[in-house]
Amino acid sequence: MLETRELTKKFKEHVAVHNVSLYLNEGESVGLLGPNGAGKSTTISMMSTLLPPTSGEVHFKGKDALKNPQGLRQVLGVVPQEIALYEELSAYENMKFFGRIYGLKGEKLEKRIEDVLELIGLTERKKDAVETYSGGMKRRINIGVTLLHEPEVLIMDEPTVGIDPQSRNYILEMIRKLNREKNMTILYTSHYMEEVEKLCDRVYIMDHGEIIASGTNQELKDILSSDETIRIDVESLSSEFLERLSEHPVVQKVMQEEQGYKVIATKGDDLLGDVFDMAKSAHTKITGIVVQTPTLEDVFLHLTGRKLRD
Amino acid sequence: MWTVFKLQWQRLFKNPLVVLTFLGLTVLFVNFLGGIQSDQKIITRTYSEELTIEELDEWITKLNEDDTFVFEASDYDSIYERIRMNETSFALELNEESYRFLVGREDMELSPIIQHVDQVFSREKRIAQLEESDLSEAFELQTFIELTTVLSDDESNVSQGFPVAILAGVTFYFSAFSIFYLMINLIEEKKMGTWNRLIFSPLSKTKIYLGQMLHYFLVGLVQIALSFIILSNLIDVDLGTNYVPMLVVILSFIFAIVSIGMFIIGIVSSPQQLQIVIPIVATSMAMIGGAFWPLEIVNNRILLFLAELMPIKHGIQGMMGVVNQGSSVSEVFVPIATLLFMGVFFMGIGLNLMERVSEKSSL
Ligand SMILES: Nc1ncnc2c1ncn2[C@@H]1O[C@H](COP(=O)(O)OP(=O)(O)OP(=O)(O)O)[C@@H](O)[C@H]1O
Ligand SMILES: [Mg+2]
Repeated sequence: MLETRELTKKFKEHVAVHNVSLYLNEGESVGLLGPNGAGKSTTISMMSTLLPPTSGEVHFKGKDALKNPQGLRQVLGVVPQEIALYEELSAYENMKFFGRIYGLKGEKLEKRIEDVLELIGLTERKKDAVETYSGGMKRRINIGVTLLHEPEVLIMDEPTVGIDPQSRNYILEMIRKLNREKNMTILYTSHYMEEVEKLCDRVYIMDHGEIIASGTNQELKDILSSDETIRIDVESLSSEFLERLSEHPVVQKVMQEEQGYKVIATKGDDLLGDVFDMAKSAHTKITGIVVQTPTLEDVFLHLTGRKLRD
Repeated sequence: MWTVFKLQWQRLFKNPLVVLTFLGLTVLFVNFLGGIQSDQKIITRTYSEELTIEELDEWITKLNEDDTFVFEASDYDSIYERIRMNETSFALELNEESYRFLVGREDMELSPIIQHVDQVFSREKRIAQLEESDLSEAFELQTFIELTTVLSDDESNVSQGFPVAILAGVTFYFSAFSIFYLMINLIEEKKMGTWNRLIFSPLSKTKIYLGQMLHYFLVGLVQIALSFIILSNLIDVDLGTNYVPMLVVILSFIFAIVSIGMFIIGIVSSPQQLQIVIPIVATSMAMIGGAFWPLEIVNNRILLFLAELMPIKHGIQGMMGVVNQGSSVSEVFVPIATLLFMGVFFMGIGLNLMERVSEKSSL
């Protein structure tokens, strides 16, 4: 339905996005995952015909959407990363304006505004200026404004950044509903693994402007099928222990955490026994040890050697 | 386009302070400047050390025959005090065979008065000469503190056109201010991301820009119209009924200003910097362009050349033509064409600069 072909964007000499090809099938919910500065926003800016790419193409329903953006623009909804509203105006006034921009008017517009206000749970505050809203409410109206014209494709740029878990669940639930009930095609950008794991059928992982992996949640985790993740909690961190762990032949990656270490290692070998020996000789007391099934977070760690969130 | 246009008004009504302030300032400023410059008649206080009161009165009556000037009898001590306190800038001392001016500070009004006194004095002298045929002492002209004679050929022109020039100048100045200030909105929209929402909507860029521009344009027009209406009722300036050419001049001026606004926000793209740049640009444009004082008193060639580049100068010139000479559109063609040219020129560059910036703006 919507597809990019080798999109590249350079800002002067800096390559923000490099050869990104991805696609969204109709009714699919797809995640775009990557750390800060990975190039997610830049990619979706190009997909939404906002930013002209340095090279590459965007196709919508088989047509070149950069040369002929009207078809896509009419049915596209984009939720910007930052709150993009006239904050001195009320939720209602904002919705009225943005609805009109998409050609809605009269009773139809009023009805849509009512429905969306209901959906985002802001009916009671609709007359208040947006600047008086809480962070979570602003996030919701920021999404709501995008839903008025019932977009076929909804692109969301980190819509849950910086809000409390309750609002966040509310928003995630709402998106899931839109996807399931209205068959909306969704591209969801985030650096929260849990969100993407819960919400999306398929995931692209981006780093340094490139897509480094893609597939369903399961496919991505299968990258780690031959590996296992071990969490080791210790009484106090020790650089000697860390060094020994890293040097162990079956260990691939070690991440230092607050109370211990996270180790990704090849399955099968008897690493656990060695771990206790190494701890002993480094005079480190182990307080707990857990073998985990991998998460997308681990996949990212495996692929890049870094954690998603610093 | 109309949706965008309407929205901008909606936003303006939520925050009308800037425009209202500038409108208020216009009224205040015109009254202030007009008050200083067009004080209808300046009183020349006159005293004498030699003449009797009757003789002095006789002289004053003669001097007052022409009613452009008013002379009033006084005495040296009170005049000296007034000059010292800066309440009067000059005074006249009459003696039997001579007169002299006491000058505290330079004043534009002084030279016509000197001319007048000189005329009356030499006339009387000639009469006296004829009567007595006695050419003993010539009169002398002396300065007390400092006397600089400001003489210019078209002095009378200046004082006639002055109120309209000030009225137009100050009004144009503050409307340019309003327009520039409101145009910060455009930059803020880009920062806030609402601009992006418009761009990836089905609305074309042309319509977005047109809607915005039309708004700034109309705000300028309303402000100028209001301030002309308020001021012509408040002070004694007759703007006449030459409405069509007046409107054309005003519209061309606003067009030039909106374009220069685009140019400015194309170069300076942060709202904070604009807050500083705009007053500097608007004020220097107005000062150089002669909004606060007539360009006739400027004789620096560079400044006069720069004045030609200021839309406000051509706006004022157009207004003066329309009001003072009752010119038709074709008679004020030069200022109008100049303004339109400036408009097209700066709009072209401005839009290009803006688009270059938005090439880089992502979500
Ligand atoms: N207008 C611009 N000019 C120059 N560099 C830019 C511009 N916009 C983005 N970049 C650079 O491009 C890279 C990708 O930025 P982008 O905003 O796409 O990242 P992101 O994945 O959305 O990050 P985040 O999670 O922080 O939103 C960054 O290194 C950023 O500094
Ligand atoms: Mg981003």
